[in-house]
Amino acid sequence: MRHPWLACSLTALAVITTACAPGATAPTAAAPEAEPGYAASADGALPAGGTLNLQVHVDTGAASGLDPQLADVASSWQVMSLVYETLVTVGPDFTVQPLLAESWETPSPTTYVFKLRDDVVFSNGRRMTADDVVGSLKRLLDSKSVWRGQLGPVKSVTKSGEHGVKITLDTPYTPFLSALANVPAAVLPMKEVRDGSVDPAVKMVGTGPFTVEDHRQDVSWSFRKNAKYWAPGKPALDAVNITVAPEETARIAGLQNGGASLATLGNVDSAGMLAGAANVEVVTQATTDFYYLMLNTKAASSKFADPRVRQAINMAMDRGQIADVAVGGQGKPTGATPAGLPGACDPARLPSATGGPEGAKKLLAAAGVRDLSFTLSIYSTEPAPAVAQVIQQNLQQAGIKVNIEQMDEASWAGKVYGKAPATFDAALSWFAGYADPGMVAKWWNPDVAGFNSGFMKSDKELNELIDAANTVPSGAGRTEALAKVCAKADTDAQMIPLVTRPATIGYRSDALSPSLYATEGYGNALRLIADTRAKAVR
Amino acid sequence: MRRPLDLLSKGGLGCLLALVAFALGSTVDLAGDPDAIVGPRLAPPGPEWWMGTDNLGRSMLPRVMEGVGTTLLLSCTAVLLTAAVSAAFGILAGYRGGYLNEVVLRLVEVLYSFPAIVLAVLVAAVLGPGQFAALASIVLVTIPLMTRLVRAAAVGVSQRDYVTAAVISGARLPRILGRHVLPNVAGTIAVQGTYALSVGISVEGGLSFLGFGVQPPQASLGVLIRQGGSYMIAAPWLIIGPGTVLVVAILAINVFGDGLRDRLEPRETRSLT
Repeated sequence: MRHPWLACSLTALAVITTACAPGATAPTAAAPEAEPGYAASADGALPAGGTLNLQVHVDTGAASGLDPQLADVASSWQVMSLVYETLVTVGPDFTVQPLLAESWETPSPTTYVFKLRDDVVFSNGRRMTADDVVGSLKRLLDSKSVWRGQLGPVKSVTKSGEHGVKITLDTPYTPFLSALANVPAAVLPMKEVRDGSVDPAVKMVGTGPFTVEDHRQDVSWSFRKNAKYWAPGKPALDAVNITVAPEETARIAGLQNGGASLATLGNVDSAGMLAGAANVEVVTQATTDFYYLMLNTKAASSKFADPRVRQAINMAMDRGQIADVAVGGQGKPTGATPAGLPGACDPARLPSATGGPEGAKKLLAAAGVRDLSFTLSIYSTEPAPAVAQVIQQNLQQAGIKVNIEQMDEASWAGKVYGKAPATFDAALSWFAGYADPGMVAKWWNPDVAGFNSGFMKSDKELNELIDAANTVPSGAGRTEALAKVCAKADTDAQMIPLVTRPATIGYRSDALSPSLYATEGYGNALRLIADTRAKAVR
Repeated sequence: MRRPLDLLSKGGLGCLLALVAFALGSTVDLAGDPDAIVGPRLAPPGPEWWMGTDNLGRSMLPRVMEGVGTTLLLSCTAVLLTAAVSAAFGILAGYRGGYLNEVVLRLVEVLYSFPAIVLAVLVAAVLGPGQFAALASIVLVTIPLMTRLVRAAAVGVSQRDYVTAAVISGARLPRILGRHVLPNVAGTIAVQGTYALSVGISVEGGLSFLGFGVQPPQASLGVLIRQGGSYMIAAPWLIIGPGTVLVVAILAINVFGDGLRDRLEPRETRSLT
């Protein structure tokens, strides 16, 4: 090479310029005003048809295949919700609303009787029956699904007439309807599943608005309109194409150049970055999802076996700073019940809320621990690195040294959930917060959750408090019971809740008129995709 | 007679020394703790924060200083390792020839067949992201060319009369290589080292840009450019500082390397490689 210096300099310039994707700054078309409870409302006057080109940062979990009952991450629920539907769904402000069930009755606190819609057909053309619903729920309860624990103390699931299903519980369970509203509780074509003509792990046949045309794991999805969909006039779109684009800059560039008409964004500053970009709108959903820190107490030489060490870490955490800095003021400090849900506990009243770094130092001294240092494993998707770096700064104030280990999501999941006992020191992730404050608290019981049994020890007292809180009907009594759960989880500190996680969604206002709720609890930005309308065939 | 460095090369050397001094500032926290959250998020450059603040409210000046230091230290360490490995294998292969020469050349060609950044990503995937992966990547990327050049120079030196005289006088292999061959290929190693240094900085930048290099919160030029790329429109100061430094560093190293080559390897004595 005659001029290696020139090549190197050009490479350096290329590195810089690849990172830069300036957008056009033409005026943006005004977005229609959203209804109360909605971040965006689709314009029903637009003609049906067209294609939605969506970009997301991660695909469905490859390890669990395409079986919705085994799906255990929100990214899977989001995509699968295009094909699968549940008896009930979640509306604005976390209200439970009918979906495949037309209505329901609760003749007693332990009995739910659902009246099914009689016009629902699967995408293979067969009419949905009560047997499909009963079979699906029994299959879920007999499976190794993580979601099985959320359904609560189900005693029996039986048919109640041709279009009815009766579910009986052993004890009252307040979050039951909210638990039924998630994709793992979807109705499967059980006749075909039983006779082997449909394997849900590899083929998706549901009652939802779209059917799968093509899927390349971690690359793309192609969905086509389900022509047999039961809701009149829905879905408005003819097709949905999903591209998995892990790099945030790629998704932002896609919105700027029109390659994407909708994109989920991780960076909390996305709205600012896209400010002035022609015809790009950015909306933020307030979610009940929250970040939490996992401290591995099951490793052979765990540094966190002494609860005082865990409490010191919890005490040194400045949740306000994490919310303000790492998530750009768009998150809120939270306890084990998600901030923003009715009945959730007040994080300012938790035992760890007072003390700060000095209190943490005293606890560490009492535990006889000096120069505590550990490795925090995180995935590289924003804003997790930002949260981790603020945690690092918080703990440094208490004399605790944190080394951050950043990796891609698949490697991270393998390290955190792949082995029992797990070998990591600490890890950062987020939980979907769902629509009932008692649901996510159930993950503090590793015997129910399962996925965290490799790094978390079961606490009998905490488990009893969680179960007790979920038997109390909503109201002051439940708020009090949930506060006890929060306080106990706070002192247990094997999983430390931090701040809520905002969901940012960008869309092209010249290509799309989407419907998006202002709030979301299941990590599903595509919940209203059947209402979304395209403005032009791109 | 060796020519003195020309003005351009001296300028390159001056830039490099200035960058080293700039980086040394971070070791004594001259501009503050590069990891400390000190101000509002994404504040533009001003009297309080000369290069602005990043998305976590950290001052960019100490972070760029730390970034330059990290990148230069990583690249220099890697180039020293490359020089040691390439000198050992290149000289041995060039002097002994035969089977050893063929094995070394074929191994080097295998490494050479990978594009630099692909090889670096492969190494990072095997070793896991971090400084060690960055170091190993730079070494593997820079070894092939340097080994080939050192080998070619060693072939020429091995045929010189003073080497033949040393052999006839009964000198042992380590002495012949260490006293007679190595000093005469040192110029090639030094010149090629400057090129490898610039390649190393590019590889570190690329690897960290992809998230496989230096881990947060430690700054390197690649990390800062990766972070700044996301904020090009909203906060351009995040990428202008580290980007400019990266370009200046690579240009300075290459200009200096060119001058060094002219001084140590006058055109008429260069081997044909």
